[in-house]
Amino acid sequence: MDYRENEQEAAFRKRVHDWLAENAPRNWQEEASDEKAAGRITRAWHRKLYEAGFIGLSWPEEYGGRNLGPTFEAILNDELGKADTPRISFHNYLGRAIFAFGTEEQKRRFLPTMLSGEVQWCQGFSEPNAGSDLASLRTFAELRGDTYVVNGQKMWTSGALNADWCLLLVRTDRDVPKHKGITCLLTSIRAPGIDVRPIRISDGAPETCEVFLDEVKIPADQRVGDPGAGWRIAMTVLSFERGPADIGMIATYDTALRKIEDLAKARGVAGQPEVRKALARAYVHGEALRLNVVEQLSQRSAGRMPGPEGSVARLLLTEAQQYINHLELEVMGADAFNGRATGTFNSYIRSRTISIFGGTSEIQKNILANQVLGMPR
Amino acid sequence: MLRTTAERLAQRYAVRNPADLATIDRAQSWQAVADAGLLGLRARDGAQPFVSGVEVMLVAEALAGALTPPSFIGTILAEELLALAGVDAEIDAIAAGSARYALLLTRDLTQLADAESFNGAVGFDADAAGYALGLSRGRGGARLCRYAIAGVFSELQTPDFTRVCVGPATDKKRPEAELLGSAVTAEALDRWLALALTLTCADIVGVLRSGLRQVVEYSKTRIQYGVPVGSFQAVQHMCAEMLVKVEAASSMTRYAAWTVDALPPSESLLAARTAKAHCAGAARSVAETVMQAFGGIGQTWEHIAPLMNRRVMFDRKLFGDESHQLLCIADARLGAA
Repeated sequence: MDYRENEQEAAFRKRVHDWLAENAPRNWQEEASDEKAAGRITRAWHRKLYEAGFIGLSWPEEYGGRNLGPTFEAILNDELGKADTPRISFHNYLGRAIFAFGTEEQKRRFLPTMLSGEVQWCQGFSEPNAGSDLASLRTFAELRGDTYVVNGQKMWTSGALNADWCLLLVRTDRDVPKHKGITCLLTSIRAPGIDVRPIRISDGAPETCEVFLDEVKIPADQRVGDPGAGWRIAMTVLSFERGPADIGMIATYDTALRKIEDLAKARGVAGQPEVRKALARAYVHGEALRLNVVEQLSQRSAGRMPGPEGSVARLLLTEAQQYINHLELEVMGADAFNGRATGTFNSYIRSRTISIFGGTSEIQKNILANQVLGMPR
Repeated sequence: MLRTTAERLAQRYAVRNPADLATIDRAQSWQAVADAGLLGLRARDGAQPFVSGVEVMLVAEALAGALTPPSFIGTILAEELLALAGVDAEIDAIAAGSARYALLLTRDLTQLADAESFNGAVGFDADAAGYALGLSRGRGGARLCRYAIAGVFSELQTPDFTRVCVGPATDKKRPEAELLGSAVTAEALDRWLALALTLTCADIVGVLRSGLRQVVEYSKTRIQYGVPVGSFQAVQHMCAEMLVKVEAASSMTRYAAWTVDALPPSESLLAARTAKAHCAGAARSVAETVMQAFGGIGQTWEHIAPLMNRRVMFDRKLFGDESHQLLCIADARLGAA
C-alpha cells in the first residue's frame, strides 16, 4: 500500500483546492443562525458543488455520477473539511440503499436528483422505543391494495426540517421475528399525515427532529427491496454512514487541533508539560483515526464493501473528538465558564452526541465483539 | 511471501507457554530464520535495502506473535546500523546467522549508548551475541563501535523472559571500543531510530494481536453460569476495546514502516514516535486486559498471558515510552518548550 496519491488523484486535489479558494462561502456560520437558514445554505452549497462536477464522484454516470473511485470522494471531503465549508446534503450513504436494493426505475427516478441536491433526503430509522434496539421499531405500514398506509412516530431524524423525501423503515409483519418484519419505504416528507417537529439538542440547536406519521399513504412502488428486507438495507446504510465516508471529519479535526494549539500558545500555557503532552496526545488520536480510515479506504478501493470493522474508525473518531473538546475546555480554563467564551462549552456539550448518534459506542462495541471477533451472543 | 515464511517459522518455533522457553532449541530456530533469508533483509543492494521497512515490519510482527525467536528486531537494527556505516562483511555474517550483535542502549533504554553512557548501559537482544553495538561520538560525527561481550558483560535479570539483555559488569574496566566503518550522519541516525521505533511497535502489535486472539478463543470455551464467558457484554466490550486499540496500533505501525524508506527522516521520525506513543499505551492496556479476561488462570506463572505482558511492557519502554514520545511530538508540533 502506497500512502502517496497518484498523479490523477493529486491533480484532482489541486483542482478542488483551487476551486474552493475561489468559491468556498465565507462567514456562512453567522448566516446559519437558525435551522431553516442552515438548510438553505446547505442546499445552495450542494448545488454549487454539483454544478462544478464535484458531487457523486464515485457514482455511476447513468445516475448522475462521475465513475471515479472512493479515494476521490475522500479527497473532496478532505479539502471541504480543510476549507471549513458548510455541510452538504446526505446523499452518499442514503443513496447506497436505493442503489444497492432499488429497482432500475427507482434508481433513475431518485438518484440523479439526490446527487444534484434538488431533492434533499432524511433517514427515518429510530423511534422513541427503538433506539439502540432499532429492530424493535413499531411504526406500522399496512398494505391496502397497492398503497401502504403508515402510522407511527420516528425520532432523531436529522435534517427532516429541510428535507423533501425520507427513507423510512417500517414494520409490515408483526408475526415474524423482529428483524424479518421490517420494510423500507420512500416517502415525500410533505405527504399528508406527516408532521415534523424539531428537537433541540444540548447546545440549543434544533439539529434533529421527530416525525409523526398519521395514516400516511405511500404507493407500493416506493418500496425498496422486498417486503421484510428492510433490516439488511438499514445495515448497509449504517455501515456506509459509519465508515470511511467520515473522512471529512479528519480534516475538520486537524483544523480544530491547530486552533487549540494556537489557543494554548496565545494563552501562554503551551510551555506546560501537561498541556504539551495533552496536545501531542490529541495529535496521536487524530493520526490513529486518519491512518485506520486510510487503510480501510484502500480496501474499499480494492472493491471491498464497508463492513462491521467500520465501527473501529467510529470509536476512534469518538475518542479523538471528545478528547479535544475536553482539551479545549482545559486550555480555556475559567474563561469557558465566566461568560467570556461560551462557545467553547457549547461545542464541548455538543461533542457528547458523538458517542450516541448513528449507533452508541456500546452498540459499536457489540458489533465488533459479535461480528468481527465472533464472540457468542 | 516473506510474511508467510515468517508465519510458518513462527508457528514451528512458537513459545506457547513459559515452559517452552526452557526447552526450545534457540540455536536451531535462529539458524532456521537465517536459512529462510530473514536476517539479511536490510542488507543493501547498492544504496537500496533489499526489502522495505513495511516488509521487515510484517516479519517482526509475525515472529513476535509467537514470542520467538528471540533476537529478530535487535539483529535487524544492528544490521541497519552496519549498513549505514558500510560494514559489509559483518552484514553478510549476520545474514548467514554466524555473527550475532546486541544493541548497546543507554540505561533509560531510549537510545544507543556511547562511551559516556557505557556504565549502566544495556545490551538488548543479546542472545548468543558476540558483540554489543554502540556509538562513539566525536568531532567527525558518530561512528559505530563494538564491544566484545565475553568477559565484560553479564546477563541481566530483566522482567522480559523471552529475550536476553546483558550489561557491563560493574567491577570491570570499560574495554576499548573497536570502531567500525565510516561516520554516520545525524539524519541517518534519525531514520534508524524511526525504524527502531517502528519495529518495536511491530513487536507490540504482533504480541497483542496474538493475545487478543487467544483470549477471545478462550472466552468462547470457558463456561461460567452455564454459558461461555464470551457471551457476557462486560467481557465483549473489553475485547472490542482491545480490538480498537490493536487495529489502530497496526494502522499506525504500517504507516510508520512505510515512511522509513519513503519520507524525509524528520517526518518518518514523527510518524514513528506517533505510532510508538499509541502502541506504548496500547501495550499496557491490552496486555493487562488479556490477563484480566483470562481470569485467575491468566495470573499464573505457567500461563502465556503474563509472559506476553512482560514482553510488551519491556517494549513499551524500549526507545522511549508514551510520555517520552508525547514530549518529543510536542516539540515537533509546537516548537521546543
